[in-house]
Amino acid sequence: MFTRKIDLLGAAVFVIVMAILPLLFGNTYLTGILTVAIIYAIWAVSWDFMSGLTGRENFGHALFIGAGAYTAGFMNTVWGISGWWAIPSAMVVASLFALVVGFPTLRLKGPYFALAMLSASAIMERLMLIFWEQTGGEEGINGIEPLIYSQLGFYYFVLAVLVVSTAGLLLLAHSNWGLILRAIRGDEATCQAAGLNVTWYKIASLVISGAVAGAGGAIYAQYQLQVSPQVFTVVLSITVITMVYVGGMSSIWGPVGGAILLVLMTELLRDFGEWRLMIYSITLILILFFLPQGLVAPTWQRLKARLGASA
Amino acid sequence: MSTILEVAHLTKRFGGLVAVSDVSFSLQAGEVAGVLGPNGAGKTTLYNLLTGFIRPDEGSVEFMGRSVLGMAPHRIVRLGISRTFQLCRPFVGMTVLENVKVGGLSQPAPPQGRDAHARELIEQVGLAGKENTPVEVMAYGDQRRLEIARALATAPKLLLLDEPFAGLGSGEIAELSALIRRVHQETDLTVLLIEHKLREFMKLVDRVVALDFGEVIADDTPERIVAHPRVIDAYIGTEGHDVEVA
Repeated sequence: MFTRKIDLLGAAVFVIVMAILPLLFGNTYLTGILTVAIIYAIWAVSWDFMSGLTGRENFGHALFIGAGAYTAGFMNTVWGISGWWAIPSAMVVASLFALVVGFPTLRLKGPYFALAMLSASAIMERLMLIFWEQTGGEEGINGIEPLIYSQLGFYYFVLAVLVVSTAGLLLLAHSNWGLILRAIRGDEATCQAAGLNVTWYKIASLVISGAVAGAGGAIYAQYQLQVSPQVFTVVLSITVITMVYVGGMSSIWGPVGGAILLVLMTELLRDFGEWRLMIYSITLILILFFLPQGLVAPTWQRLKARLGASA
Repeated sequence: MSTILEVAHLTKRFGGLVAVSDVSFSLQAGEVAGVLGPNGAGKTTLYNLLTGFIRPDEGSVEFMGRSVLGMAPHRIVRLGISRTFQLCRPFVGMTVLENVKVGGLSQPAPPQGRDAHARELIEQVGLAGKENTPVEVMAYGDQRRLEIARALATAPKLLLLDEPFAGLGSGEIAELSALIRRVHQETDLTVLLIEHKLREFMKLVDRVVALDFGEVIADDTPERIVAHPRVIDAYIGTEGHDVEVA
């Protein structure tokens, strides 16, 4: 149980560092960046739970993010409902989207699921523009009321959501449920031969993944105080997947590191002006080329092995 | 003995090809029976029909008096029919213990716990000590044993083995054959196996259903099967006379 203790210790240190960082620098700019990084982390973790464990890649995670964000936007600005209701509602709406796309496509083999997710999110983006009278079109929904007026208070709230959702998904991933999802990745026919309803497990895990991403979407809307069709874009989905790859797929917690690293990298490269995107892309390509297992989770495993050897 | 499986007029066509044609046979509870037939005779298709992986065009399959026609594969497994695959299909990226444990997850947790039960099965098939081995580094013979342990974890009443000896050396075949016999004796299991390797196969089974071009051409004891003219014609070839049965 040595490694379990070290893992818990590592997680505790991470949470404490994240909690202290904004206090240490005390500038709102950094707190803002960290808030966004943590929201990305929630999305990356939720993606990893379904796609990382089962190996069925979801190329339209933005569908759930956008569904959650627009739910929060509408509820607050159109119906004037308190922001606290937006998060559970966003989870329900995102789950429904997961059912609608997952039910017909996850029973099929092949790329249908990945493509259906990709197109569903792209269609939603178009719909937000087409029905501009209701959605605000390109401008989106503005004037969302903040959930927590203190920036630092909101930051701690988002950090708490990340901790709870990551811990919950990790527990699930290490339960028999997670074992079944990994078995699905291994061989679906053998799962059926083991008496398991593969389709049910895939759809249920997509619903869980979507619900968490939807909650993240609602939180994002409440951070930006605005929602625009960008939350449905393919670019957002791909960014989330990249974060998972850099973090280390199917570890659930690794993508947290991936998200924070990539968001910080984007910010640090601002000084490079027009070179930014190029440096960012080359760094990513190098990481993925030389570390196909990802950067964060494998590094921690190696560190742990060294600690274990010296202990 | 009572009838555990009743197959009647089972037919499956793939386009113009009739893979399984009007196949009828029955299995008695507790027996070890075999399906014999040359490549392409429809043996694996027959297994896929029995386990719900594909649906027949005609005919019926009754397991313990209940029709399993059109049932999803996982439902059929829960009724008590478990299968192995011709090419081993373990869950890659997982250990031996995890593989066997997944096999038991469709069943209620046993009193000794899921881990302990999986360990017992691993020991039963002779893989003790390899619980934490990743499956992808295992020898092929061990993967076969793992397939059987995983199938046993679903608590089957009828075990369907698809060419369990394929790809194994003669020593491994003898060991696996002994394992199948032992498992059959220790549990009240009915076993149906598909095989090519005549010698071990004939020693193992009580009865043989011989197929050719998707049709049943004979259904008899191993001794009489090898002497059956249509079987010799179809499977052994008109030139073959040296089939050893003992």
